[in-house]
Amino acid sequence: MASAPGPERDLRLLAGCLPLYPPPPPTVGLLSMEQQETYLELYLDQCAAQDDLTPPRSPLFNPVVPYGMYILNASNPDTAFNSNPEVKETSGDFSSVDLSFLPDEVTQENKDQPVISSRHETEENSESQSPQSRLPSPSEQDIGLGLNSSSLSNSHSQLHPGDTDSVQPSPEKPNSDSLSLAPITPMTPMTPVSECCGIVPQLQNIVSTVNLACKLDLKKIALHAKNAEYNPKRFAAVIMRIREPRTTALIFSSGKMVCTGAKSEEQSRLAARKYARVVQKLGFPARFLDFKIQNMVGSCDVRFPIRLEGLVLTHQQFSSYEPELFPGLIYRMVKPRIVLLIFVSGKVVLTGAKERSEIYEAFENIYPILKGFKKA
Amino acid sequence: MPGRGRCPDCGSTELVEDSHYSQSQLVCSDCGCVVTEGVLTTTFSDEGNLREVTYSRSTGENEQISRSQQRGLRRVRDLCRVLQLPPTFEDTAVAYYQQAYRHSGIRAARLQKKEVLVGCCVLITCRQHNWPLTMGAICTLLYADLDVFSSIYMQIVKLLGLDVPSLCLAELVKTYCSSFKLFQASPSVPAKYVEDKEKMLSRTLQLVELANETWLVTGRHPLPVITAATFLAWQSLQPADRLSCSLARFCKLANVDLPYPASSRLQELLAVLLRMAEQLAWLRVLRLDKRSVVKHIGDLLQHRHSLVRLAFRDGTAEVETRGKEPPAWGQGQREGEVGNNSLGLPQGKRPASPALLLPPCMLKPPKPICPAPPVSTVTGDENISDSEIEQYLRTPQEVRDFQRAQAARQAATSVPNPP
Repeated sequence: MASAPGPERDLRLLAGCLPLYPPPPPTVGLLSMEQQETYLELYLDQCAAQDDLTPPRSPLFNPVVPYGMYILNASNPDTAFNSNPEVKETSGDFSSVDLSFLPDEVTQENKDQPVISSRHETEENSESQSPQSRLPSPSEQDIGLGLNSSSLSNSHSQLHPGDTDSVQPSPEKPNSDSLSLAPITPMTPMTPVSECCGIVPQLQNIVSTVNLACKLDLKKIALHAKNAEYNPKRFAAVIMRIREPRTTALIFSSGKMVCTGAKSEEQSRLAARKYARVVQKLGFPARFLDFKIQNMVGSCDVRFPIRLEGLVLTHQQFSSYEPELFPGLIYRMVKPRIVLLIFVSGKVVLTGAKERSEIYEAFENIYPILKGFKKA
Repeated sequence: MPGRGRCPDCGSTELVEDSHYSQSQLVCSDCGCVVTEGVLTTTFSDEGNLREVTYSRSTGENEQISRSQQRGLRRVRDLCRVLQLPPTFEDTAVAYYQQAYRHSGIRAARLQKKEVLVGCCVLITCRQHNWPLTMGAICTLLYADLDVFSSIYMQIVKLLGLDVPSLCLAELVKTYCSSFKLFQASPSVPAKYVEDKEKMLSRTLQLVELANETWLVTGRHPLPVITAATFLAWQSLQPADRLSCSLARFCKLANVDLPYPASSRLQELLAVLLRMAEQLAWLRVLRLDKRSVVKHIGDLLQHRHSLVRLAFRDGTAEVETRGKEPPAWGQGQREGEVGNNSLGLPQGKRPASPALLLPPCMLKPPKPICPAPPVSTVTGDENISDSEIEQYLRTPQEVRDFQRAQAARQAATSVPNPP
């Protein structure tokens, strides 16, 4: 009966943003038409405000909605919109929803999928059944769920919170499929779809920082660790290196650490954890807080020579080409905010990214521009 | 002002607060009678309540030009005069310097940086008027490091949001060539080395254009290319006497510094000319080499456009399929068998198949590419075994040894210093 702390906390947060919902009456008809209309209007107003941005976002009031709640939540606008056919279109496609805010457990848990699909199946089979055992009481329910169920005056079963799922007409089925699929697959593709060419920039270096959250005695670390060097007169940090993944770390006495040299985000994280473990083994209460990728560097080869003088003429506001200083052209792309070094041999270096997708996107943007300069 | 009292003389209420030489007074606007006066000086007790305000927090900075800014503006004007720039350039450069000075980062910068900033402003002005001033020249004049100059230059261009056009190559050729002291006989320059300025200029220009077309200029410092082109032009105008003169000696004669990359640019230019010579039937039979081709530079330049078209094929499309072809297009090599030949003449008599028109960095044999790292399946959350971490830690015995060694080293380094 007691629900997990998660849903409760989320419900309280939901309660904060939604008008307080009175407990649903046990039978239909207790709520007058006007009351139902009011709740419908209230809900739709909120949806309309968010419709300007991304319509599918409307049901996602609380970013920390656990998976189960999300599904129930997401199904609600469909049921709500059933009564308002003209508003239905806005809720239709959920595949474009940006779900990156969902916590990792939610996006990775595949096992929820069969649970949900089986739930849908049982609902399809038993229209009028109200599996109240699943959803015990309205107070523990998703309030939006209850809100929508009250707005529907059609059937008796809809007022039972558990049955809101059951009212899923077939047009919603494709949506539910996409719903159940959508949280699993990340929205931004990890492998770049390069429709222009088969060239994929390779990541060469990742710089990340992490907070070990304890004061460190650098002299002690340099003494007890084989792979550390410490020269306070030159630099106020210990330089530590590990072999696998081949990386270098700068460890400061404040407990902050910078990890460089990894070739992928996961490797950078693993390496940072290994350094933290080394520091732990040396007797410090090191933790692993605020790991963040600060910079990513990628490189690739377009395999044709580029007339840099021409490029700087046509893209003057972004490019800087000074052959007296540097042989390459420095292109500062605005969206995404990446700096590209373009050389006459066709080699391109992309840097300044916080995400892998930014590097791929920047290359997608620059390739057609470079192709324009292919003919000498 | 109402409510302030009445003028004792005329009784009007129109009293105005005014200041007379920084002394505030309450004056009747009708009769001009001074009703009350403020104090001109402060008393000691009043001054005790005053607080010091640093110059940077007062408005003094905005009201007058600071001494260091004045110095900088003077330096800008001096530099323009030394370079003998037209007078309009001076005003533009001064305006840029003042504009830069409005930014707090520049105001608080070191003197060295402000000095270099003078050069940057002059350089930007020259670039915008297509005046061929190189960064090397400015750095020499200012005794500045090129690295320092480059960082401040990039910073100021970004800060002021300026559009700085590229260095004008044609103008640079004219200015640079004119600086060669070869147009008059002198004790150091024998008569056979003296050359007509116009002829040399025009030939150098043509050679530089040829270099530009064949990817020898993009991405490189422009000056060494011009040095090499000037040398070749000079040699080709009187090859019989001048072939014996080397590039280094030539620069010494002409009283010009020899830039280091000039010799490799010279080789590249000669290779291009040799390729072009292969396309001329009467030159092919001569089997020219790097030295003999100089004699025919005049002819080659005369037909350079068509020769380049014949001698080189577009390298851009070829590179993408290059993986399958052997790297046969070495400098000066003839690989008649490989590749297509549009003329269809029997082998041996036909001209060399067109070489790839690519920058020299792409013509070099490709470096053995280190195999792409295998796609790692690292998730970042793996377990880290203790043994792996232990390998990075010293055992207690090692720690003791290390400490002993450190102490010994300390003792050794401190012994030479007597107390």
